[in-house]
This record gives sequence, structure tokens and C-alpha cells, in this order.
Amino acid sequence: MRELTFVEAAREGLAEEMEKDPTIFVVGEGVGARGGNFNTTTGLYALYGPERLRDTPISERGFTTLCTGAAMAGARPVVDWMFLDFGVDAMGDLIHQTAMIQWMSGGRLKMPVLLRGCIGALGSAAAHHSGNYYPLFMHIPGFRVVVPTTPYDAKGLIKTAIRSDDPVLFLEHRGVLTNKGPVPEEEYLIPFGEAAIVHEGNDVTIVAIAYMVNHALKVSEQLADEGVSAEVIDPRTLVPLDIDTILESVHKTGRLLIVDEDFAPCGAGAEITAQVVDRAFDDLDAPIRRLNGASTPSPYSLPLEAAVLPNPATIAQAVRDLLME
Amino acid sequence: MAFEVVMPRLGWSMKVGSLVEWYKKDGEFVQEGEILFTAEGEKAIQEVEALESGILRIPPDSPQPGKEISVGTVLAYLVQPDEPAPFETAAPPPPATSVEQPAIVVPPSSTSGSPSRGARRERPASKPAVSPRARRLAAELGIDWTALQGSGRTGRIVERDVRQAAQEGEKEKEAKVKVSPVARRMAEAAGIDLAELAAQKAGEKIKREDVEAVIAAREAAAAPPPPTPPVGQAVPVTHIRRLIAQRMVESAHTTAPLTLTTEADATELVALRERLKATLGPRGKVVPTYNDLIVKLTGLALQEHPLLNASWKDGEIVILADINIGTAVDTAAGLLVPVIRDVPAKSIQQIAEEARALAEKARARQLAPDDMQGGTFTITNLGTYNVDAFTPIINLPECAILGVGRIVSRPAVWNDEVVPRKMVALSLTFDHRVVDGGPAARFLNTVREYVEQPYLWLVA
Repeated sequence: MRELTFVEAAREGLAEEMEKDPTIFVVGEGVGARGGNFNTTTGLYALYGPERLRDTPISERGFTTLCTGAAMAGARPVVDWMFLDFGVDAMGDLIHQTAMIQWMSGGRLKMPVLLRGCIGALGSAAAHHSGNYYPLFMHIPGFRVVVPTTPYDAKGLIKTAIRSDDPVLFLEHRGVLTNKGPVPEEEYLIPFGEAAIVHEGNDVTIVAIAYMVNHALKVSEQLADEGVSAEVIDPRTLVPLDIDTILESVHKTGRLLIVDEDFAPCGAGAEITAQVVDRAFDDLDAPIRRLNGASTPSPYSLPLEAAVLPNPATIAQAVRDLLME
Repeated sequence: MAFEVVMPRLGWSMKVGSLVEWYKKDGEFVQEGEILFTAEGEKAIQEVEALESGILRIPPDSPQPGKEISVGTVLAYLVQPDEPAPFETAAPPPPATSVEQPAIVVPPSSTSGSPSRGARRERPASKPAVSPRARRLAAELGIDWTALQGSGRTGRIVERDVRQAAQEGEKEKEAKVKVSPVARRMAEAAGIDLAELAAQKAGEKIKREDVEAVIAAREAAAAPPPPTPPVGQAVPVTHIRRLIAQRMVESAHTTAPLTLTTEADATELVALRERLKATLGPRGKVVPTYNDLIVKLTGLALQEHPLLNASWKDGEIVILADINIGTAVDTAAGLLVPVIRDVPAKSIQQIAEEARALAEKARARQLAPDDMQGGTFTITNLGTYNVDAFTPIINLPECAILGVGRIVSRPAVWNDEVVPRKMVALSLTFDHRVVDGGPAARFLNTVREYVEQPYLWLVA
């Protein structure tokens, strides 16, 4: 099978949908002729022109809310924030209008808007370009939150996201953008709420979010040499969350480590932990452990940035510690 | 466990009192019964004895002599050597920093483990911690986890500890028990624990004779009456005894019992059993006892008289769908009533086998609670003790109980002639709340008919 990068696969998914549905358009800074800061729209401008690949000034609240209105009017806008950090500028309208309009209209209006942006700390991007922030959206009823890691998932999930009538956060960690992997030529979609078991194992369950899946896979191979059989689960979508796959794994292993680059308090790991304790208390052979990024703005200094992030070494150690419990 | 020494109640109305004087010092060993201190109540000063032996530990904040304190106030503790007094082990105040520090997660280092651990609450050392998974597994495998040594980082008992214990248990059992196939089969049939037997015959192979000896010993042990308790001394009341007492009193106090007696001609029943014995015995099958036969025929009679297979529940009469008959078994520990379920559906052979297994289990004190629950009717047989009629007590929540007397040759009128016949007395106690004398008498009469004409069972 041919191999694509994550960015190429997601772009292909977007292009396929744009080809089918003329109501889809992309709005963002540099998404036109420039092809997007992260090549999210490279080549699409030539195909669909400035009408459907609309460059904007630096005004996230304006163009995000504009797209919310367009979605109410029946279009299927794609908001390309570049960084999720910038989308936070639009938070007031995102919560009150984008997430709530379907309820406020008694279901008469739909909100088929795709909100995409990069997440995660990498390469000295510092505090304003390294946010993960998905728990903010997990917390608000109405949003779907997608965190793909492989090219295959990126394409299958972005197509599902575009077709969704709910607002979807499609969050691309900068660490996975260059991930390469097989992507079939024929069309496929991946439904929301189906986690992927990316490495099977029996001794411990590692739920890794976004780029942490890359690390966890490395660690699982390294630990296999030590005789530790780790199961790595990529939830793929945080809302809806496929808790059943996690529960099944915990039923098998009895031990759960959640690796999440985002801050720990009230985070995705806290939610997963609560659900597992609630539904599978008697399966647990050890306390549930979370390995998170430090609860601090991401430092500019590369050594400091490295120090606040989970990495394969700290994950491996956390697994060893968990097995000692 | 530290034993609390408290301000005693010296009179019924006493609410407060005061400590007058300690007779023992902090740290001194005290024998049970020694005078610990004097206390003053409303009327007098009284000496107070130690109720336990141990080292007296008086907390620094114990009430001072002369101060008025309420009854029940803890004055001191009696602890075992090496055991810290409760006031010494009380949790230290939380470190002041824990309040001020926001939940900042420290940057993970490669060796310090999970950063989210933070300051963890330590458990008191006396209780072994066990993971939920390990506890569940222990329950499933029947392992007592409290006796295990935990291998978790904090000494927690985890799944691997339980699995290891289970494995060792299996190995031990296997290593210990060498047994011949015949002996194994016999032991299983009789419900004899081979591991126990193996323990007595360390290293040797268990043979048929060994198992037979155990069975014989059991039968012998079951026969003699329990040793007479010494006269004038209080006999400790066992749990079973207490339960029996409670149930019997409850039955006597809450039911409206009435006992009907009749005499049945059991000549045919005796003949039937003799024939079964002659046929089944040589085939190696279990020969039904009279009791088994009576269980069966009573089951059939209950089918015809469902009112007797009923119970009084919350002011209502509930006629029960299943006919489960309990039989009273006299054991050294007391009366036990194992239950044979769904009697009408079972063959006499099945009933005989089941009853035998249950009686063995009862005598070996291995009856599971399930074996004794769900009865809808009870049969008690005192025939072996040469009793004829008697007045059994209803086994609540059942409605009736059938007492079976001895089968004995008596002169009887048979075809207008006085001839010796095998006679048996039947005593039916029933709860008059549930059923009246008429239906109960009709039921008893059916039982009598079935005793006298066993061929009726074939068409019942």
C-alpha cells in the first residue's frame, strides 16, 4: 500500500470531501495560495480558488464566529486556526454559540463546523504555540474532540468530522504531522468513539493521547525486551470516548497508565481515571497512574521544554513503577 | 488491639464520676483482675479492676484525678508488648506545605516514578493493603488474602501474590496426596477430604483400606451420644446451638402448632425395602433407607395436598411451587436439616444417594448454607431411638413437619384376625394459621396410605 504523511492524508481527506460537497470551504490565515502554515491546504487553492480557500486577517474570534454563522446557514465550514492556541481567542462564541446553537434552536439548526489546529509542545514553540487544551472542549457539551495520530486515522477521521453535523475539534499534534503510514486509495471513514489498540499486551495498559502514542509505542517495544508486555491504546477521539476498549484492556492487565502531554488537573486522564474506577474498580491491581506534562506554561528554552514533557524514558519508568505497585 | 480503659458506670443512674487514684503507673504491666484505679460515683468510691491483661498506657491528656467526667470517657489503654498506644500512632498533623502548594506537577525525572503521585496517604501498618483485583481473585479462588505477604511496592497484596498462593496451594495438595484410584473414588463418593487423610499418613499412599477406615470411624463417631457435659457447669453455647435455640423458640412462639398422630401398617414398606436391599445391594448401589422412602412418599403426598407445602409470610399464605424436603440429622454439634430439592421429580435412588451424601456432609460439618436452605417441609425420624409418636416443632417458615416413629411388630387386626404386623407411628405437627385440621388430617391419611400401599406411588 502507498504511504502518506499525516498531513498528506488529512489533506487528501479534506480534498475528497470538498470535491463532493461544494458547501465546504476553508477559512484561516494563509490557507489560500500559501497552502496553510502546516501544508493543510497545499494544492487546494489551485483546485477550488479563493472563494473556497479564504485567507483571513489575524482575527480568530471574527472568522470563527463567521463560520459558526455560515454553518447555521447550511454551509460546512472548515476553520483552520493553525494553532489551537489561537482558537482560544474565540472561546466565548465557541461555547455560547457554536456548541449551544443546536439546543438553543430546539434542533432546527445544525452546526457542521470543523475546527482544526495544531496542538502540543515541540521545538521551542513556547507558551502561546504549545497548548493542548482539549479538556476545555471535552468539558463543554456539544463538541466532538478528535486527536488522530496516524495518517490512516487522520484521513478517515477528518472525513467523518467534515460530515458531522456537530462542531468537531480536529486537533493535530505537531509531533505526528510527519508520521508516515499506509493509506488505502479507496474511500473509507472511521467512526468516532472507536479507540485503536496500537500494541497488544497483557501486563499493563497505556492509554496515550496524541503524540504520546508515538512515545508509548517506542516504550512498549523497549519494554518487551525487558519482558514487560504493554498494551497501548490510542483513544483517537476523546469525545466520544471509547471507554469500553480501555475497560476491556484494564480487565486483562489490571494496571493503567495514562500518558497525556496536557496538564494533569481536570484533564483527559482525570476523566478516564474516574470512569475506569467507577466501572472497573475490581479489575484494578494498582492505583491508576497519570503521566502528564508539567502544569506550567511551556518554556521557550529547549532543555526546559524537554524537562516538562513526558518522553519515552519517563514513560518507561512510569510503567516500571506501576508494575512495582 | 489496644483495650480501652473507661470511666465505669457504678450505679444505674450514674452519668458522671471522677477518677480518684491510679493504682498502676503508665507503662506498668497489669494482669487481668488487678485493681487499676479507684473511681467515685454518686454514692461511693469503688475499686476498678483491669478487664484485660496488658501494659497500662495513660495518655498525657487523660482526665486528672478529681475532675468530673462522663461515664465511658477513655482514661487509658491496655496494650500488648511492642504495640504502640493509640495516642502514639495518631496521624501527625498534615505538613503545612500541602495546603499552600498548588497542584503543580513536578517535571518528571527518569527515576522518581510517576510525578502525579505526590504525597500519598500511608495506611496503618496493622492492616495489609490489597488491590481490588487481588481481593476479587482471592474470593474466586477461595484464598485467604489476609494471610499473604504483599509484593507491591508498599506491601500491597496484588494479583500475582494471590496467583502464587493459589499455585503453591495446588502444588502442596498434589505433592501430598498419593492415592490409589479406588480409594480416590471411594473418598469422593463419601465426601472425605484426601488432603486431610494424607496429612495423617505423611508420605504414604492412601489405599482403599484407609478410606474405609475413615468411613467406619465416621459412622462410629456419629453413633454414640455426645459426651455429657459436666454437671453444674455452664456449657458454652455454640453458634449452631444458639441458632437452634432461636429458631425453636421463634417457632414455638409464633406458630399455632397442632400435632396429629396416626399409626400406619408398614409391613409392605418393610417388604419393599427388603427387596430393594436384596436387589440393589449386590449391584453396589445405594440402598434407600426408610427415611429415603418416606421422603419420597411424603413428596408425593404433598403434591396432592399443596396446602401443607406452604408458608406463612408477612401475614399471607404462600403455596410453594417446589417441594423441597429437609430431613433432620442428629450430629454431635446439634440438629442440622439438609434439604433434598424437588423431591417428586427425583427417583428413590437419586434421593437415597443425595440423602446419604448430605448426611455425611452434615456429620463432617461440611454442609454448605445452600444445602440447608429452601426447605418447604421437614421430616424428623426418631425411630432409631425407639420413639413412637411425638410432637415435633415446625421448622419455620415451613407449615408442617412429619415425625416418624420406630417400625415395630405389633399385634394388629388384619383380615379380621389378630396377627403380627410392622407398625409405625406418624406424627404431623402443622401450623394452624396456615391450614386447618381437616386438610392436615387428609394429608396425613395420604401419607398413611402410601406407607401401607407403596404400589400407589407408581400411579401417584
